[in-house]
Amino acid sequence: MLTIALPKGALLKESIARFQAIGLDFSAFLDKSNRQLQITTPNGKAQGLLVRAQDVPVYVEYGQAQLGIVGYDVLREKQADVAQLADLGFGHCRMSVAVKATSPYRSALDLPAHCRVASKFVNCARDYFNGIDLPVDIVPLYGSVELGPITGMSEAIVDLVSTGRTLQENNLVELEVLYQSTARLIAHPISYRVNSDGLSDIIQQLRSPALVTA
Amino acid sequence: MSYQPPSGTRDLLPLDVAQKYWIEARLEAMFQRWGYHRIITSTVENLDTLMAGGAIAQSSVIQLQGDGPERLGLRPELTASIARAAVTRMAQVTYPQRLYYTANVFSRAPKGSQAGQREYYQAGVELLGTSGTLADAETLRLLLSCVKNLQLTDWQLILGNADLTRSLLQAFPERLRGTVRAAIAQLDRITLETLDLPDELRQRALQLMDLRGRPQDVLQTVSQLPLTPEQQAIVNELKSLLELLDRAKPASPVILDLSLVQSFDYYTGIIFEAVVNTPQGRQVVGKGGRYDNLLGVFDPKGRSYPGIGFMLNVETLHQALAGTGCLPEVIPPSDWLVVPKTPQAAIAAFQYAETIREAEALVRVELYLEPEDDVAVIRQRARDRNISRIAWITDTHPPEIEAVN
Repeated sequence: MLTIALPKGALLKESIARFQAIGLDFSAFLDKSNRQLQITTPNGKAQGLLVRAQDVPVYVEYGQAQLGIVGYDVLREKQADVAQLADLGFGHCRMSVAVKATSPYRSALDLPAHCRVASKFVNCARDYFNGIDLPVDIVPLYGSVELGPITGMSEAIVDLVSTGRTLQENNLVELEVLYQSTARLIAHPISYRVNSDGLSDIIQQLRSPALVTA
Repeated sequence: MSYQPPSGTRDLLPLDVAQKYWIEARLEAMFQRWGYHRIITSTVENLDTLMAGGAIAQSSVIQLQGDGPERLGLRPELTASIARAAVTRMAQVTYPQRLYYTANVFSRAPKGSQAGQREYYQAGVELLGTSGTLADAETLRLLLSCVKNLQLTDWQLILGNADLTRSLLQAFPERLRGTVRAAIAQLDRITLETLDLPDELRQRALQLMDLRGRPQDVLQTVSQLPLTPEQQAIVNELKSLLELLDRAKPASPVILDLSLVQSFDYYTGIIFEAVVNTPQGRQVVGKGGRYDNLLGVFDPKGRSYPGIGFMLNVETLHQALAGTGCLPEVIPPSDWLVVPKTPQAAIAAFQYAETIREAEALVRVELYLEPEDDVAVIRQRARDRNISRIAWITDTHPPEIEAVN
């Protein structure tokens, strides 16, 4: 049966809405009392896996899920071998470098060489600073990255920004935008090539609303 | 201190070996029936040999410390080694050469992954010195025969043509051609949609990525593209090849996929992958293609010979076959237990065992070595190990044969 990996967190609601629009109902995942991680749609046409956003590309790369929705930020960080089929146009945010508002830095190049940069997105941070040829120490964190500069552990952070409110409330300012991110439709490459479980029809249907909004 | 095998490697115990051998024996038998001969090349190669074809990145090779200036590595595949051996050592042979191998190969875990597999087993063939549709058809039909002989049922063959796809990519401006090719190879539609290309070319790129499906449908679509005479010739060859496959039994589930390319490779003609549905999901069990320029890389005078081949991944085949009931589930028991009843009977026991072993068909005979002489214990031992017969040996009387039930 067609299996779809859905990301917990910010993208879940809209992801479920997109599948609901084409007749695949995973809304049981939104029910607060639900504890099941794997459900089948009421019409029995597909199966959903509820996984952490970072794990969506993993399930899709290994082929346990043929389709998945995940943010471009995660996709870029994980470098997974998956087919990237559509920009679904929701979940807008950006990957940014930020520092304390009181710091003298006004661009990433102002940062001193070998300074510390805290991030959940270590590959992405490393690639960026390699790209501008600035040697830095990346400090991997798993959450509340803003505390890095506040406590003085790091000079800067590389993190996702959606409205900018969290940065503001913690007295941080954005120096650079590394890239913009949105939700992406991804597929297991081999399943996509052999078109198993009518995959291409479903992808086509999911793409159509994206084309309308674009 | 604990002595584990290095990460990414594993020990194969007798049952694992019996199962692996079941697969390899079937493949080798099929290769031999098609007139292929086994070649064994060195596990260690010069790094330059491995990378000469342009498809192997240095970062994927496990390198070895040599004692001279040579840069050595463990082979990540056999094609380069066979091409090297064929060109430099087999200059006098008549072509075509049909060669096969079963061998272990090594590769470094890809960047970012924690503990990828590092040692794999592959079986494959190379058909050297002949080009043309017939040679392509032989290779593909041999692959189909192998898959069929392994009793795999849920599988597909994805067929592309690297030359045709490369040629269709010529339509794109040179500065973006590599990006378009990489995006198509990785099925990255989003990059194609956002690339700085005129609309018409962007549509062409997206169409190229979607040139996939039932062969007759794809050929129909391709024929409507503005093709050069060379491209038209390749399309015609593909048509004849598909006709030669169509009558192969069982009806081969072929998907024609002109987006099947790699970012870097040495393929110059057809390129293909065999996909099997395993309990772990759909996986590529084998792949190959035509490489008409590779042998020339190894020839001192640069003379090239055409070549085509494929490899099958034995571990993936094993995963696909596990649980189907095909693979042996136990190691074969001995047929005989030969028991010297007294210390003086030892020589007679060795001699008797030798006589039985000389039988034409394989007979497995083991000697009872322990000092224990309780008949009931010995009988139970034979029963526990599924040994069907016991020969009780003395130095004075003829052996007594007992069937164990």
